[in-house]
Amino acid sequence: MTAALTFQGVTKRFGLRGGKLALDALSFTIPAGSITGFVGPNGAGKTTTFGVVSGFLQPDAGTVDILGEGPFDPMRLKGRLGVLPQDAELPDRHTPLELLTHLACLQGMSRADARTEAERLIKLVRLDDRKDHRITTLSHGMRRRVAVASALCGSPQLVLLDEPLAGLDPSQAYSLRDRLAELRGVQTLVVSSHNLAEVERLCDHVVMVQDGRCLREGPMAQLTGADEVSRWQLARVLGPTELSTLQEVLPPSATLRMDGVVLEVRSAVQEDEATTVAMLGALAAAGVPLTSLARGVGLERRFLDDQEASSA
Amino acid sequence: MRDVFLIAQFELFRAIRTWRAVALVLLYAVATIGAGYLFANAIGLAEKALAESLGVAATEVPGAMMDDLIASDGFMEVLRAMVGSTDGAERLMEVPLAAIFHLWLGFLLVPFFAASASAESIAIDMNNRAIRFEALRTSRMALVLGRFAGQLTLTGVASLAAALCMWGTVMWMMVVQEPVALAGWLGWYTVRTWCFAVPFVGFGVACSQWTTSAAWARVMAVGGTAGSWVLYGIAQVMIEEDWFPMVADVLVQVLPQGWIRGMWDPGTGWILSCIVCVGLGLSSLLFGYVRFARRDL
Repeated sequence: MTAALTFQGVTKRFGLRGGKLALDALSFTIPAGSITGFVGPNGAGKTTTFGVVSGFLQPDAGTVDILGEGPFDPMRLKGRLGVLPQDAELPDRHTPLELLTHLACLQGMSRADARTEAERLIKLVRLDDRKDHRITTLSHGMRRRVAVASALCGSPQLVLLDEPLAGLDPSQAYSLRDRLAELRGVQTLVVSSHNLAEVERLCDHVVMVQDGRCLREGPMAQLTGADEVSRWQLARVLGPTELSTLQEVLPPSATLRMDGVVLEVRSAVQEDEATTVAMLGALAAAGVPLTSLARGVGLERRFLDDQEASSA
Repeated sequence: MRDVFLIAQFELFRAIRTWRAVALVLLYAVATIGAGYLFANAIGLAEKALAESLGVAATEVPGAMMDDLIASDGFMEVLRAMVGSTDGAERLMEVPLAAIFHLWLGFLLVPFFAASASAESIAIDMNNRAIRFEALRTSRMALVLGRFAGQLTLTGVASLAAALCMWGTVMWMMVVQEPVALAGWLGWYTVRTWCFAVPFVGFGVACSQWTTSAAWARVMAVGGTAGSWVLYGIAQVMIEEDWFPMVADVLVQVLPQGWIRGMWDPGTGWILSCIVCVGLGLSSLLFGYVRFARRDL
């Protein structure tokens, strides 16, 4: 696995001694080409982490490696790192077109290329009709889209997006999520969000942080147990005979458990397609309709369990 | 260098779209018009007094007796007070009086305008964190130099506007024998006013790097500028009274006001003063950068 971003024992304290410890020897690795969800409760250190990567904040200890170039250096990483800061306001005396052209120029593009790139980004975030209006006249959601566009400017190798969908209406959020998903494997995206369902849908890798420490990290399927657990929501509860019939179509290591109308299948190995089809056949033969099927416990459940375990 | 130019250009656009900067430019222009009006009236009164003493009829419009006025002893006294030396005053006899007055006024007003306008160049963007969009893409040094260059350009534009206002006011209120020559002198002196502003722009941008509050940065910049005049006055007294001559000498060297006398030089002597002023400006800027380079944005 090639790493796009590595944190090793990074510590950041705000204020003098006794001040708030925002990052407490934080360590994690973001694989190149992944879309990584960076999740944690409020005050966990997500925004601080992004600030340290972007060079806005100076770490007190530890090492940061960005795209194999060491810690943040604007000249070495020019145009290779894109960041959507959560709480930064846009320079609002300019129009989106002017601002994005300026930022693209600063990334090393010629004026003509920068203008073309700005036009592309404006189309991407669907702001064509407002591109020549001053940012100060734009709504919160529109400004957010301009900020997202700035992070994607020049197709940087590593993009950090702090709450990218916050403040967007459902259709804008859906469209942007789709656009971000298209970047999988092309660019490395790190998405911080409180919306875990959204993170689960978009991301293939997760880093969970709490109190400035990494609680858990790894591929999404592994973290949510999608490889190990599937939950079959049925129209009715199954009897012992029906359960033993189903057990026969499953690998020997798999175990079945009824939890109300939900049939939980646990297996040491991931369920293959043939097993799923056989399960569906057995249920159809028993005349049991399937209401829904979910793999894993879900990121939200895993997050809450981990949080509970950590505070205990 | 390209980044510095890009940041400067963006800063200039931002400044002229911010009402405070526009208001400051207008204020400077209006102050120049007002001062030009007072200057013309003062010349009118001086000419009237001169006409009475010579027993000739007074003129309606100020400026008609300018040659006689310049030849009078009283005029030399006023010029000496403005320039600070008899030698300097004598060397300025060829220069139109309105241009001399404009340069003197510029030395007085430009520092406050420059310091006040440039004080918000960085602080305001640190406060709302808008600075992060540029800081991600260029070095902090380029960012500071760019903002500094943008503010210098703004000061240059304001100085030029003030020169135009002075020319217009004088043309409207006085009899001017050589309007083109006057415009030339005003333009030429604008360069000196602008050079004298460099340390104050540097100081304003330095204040802007030390705090995230634009209001506090402005208070520091304007207060510091006023303080520099007070310090210069104290240094002058110290020199006259021979108190701590070494301290007084250092003060005069490090304060931009200490180089005003050189700025009056009609020959090439003013160039050294300009170079020193640019050096002082860059030093102020670096003083702010010491903090900015290491601070969290």
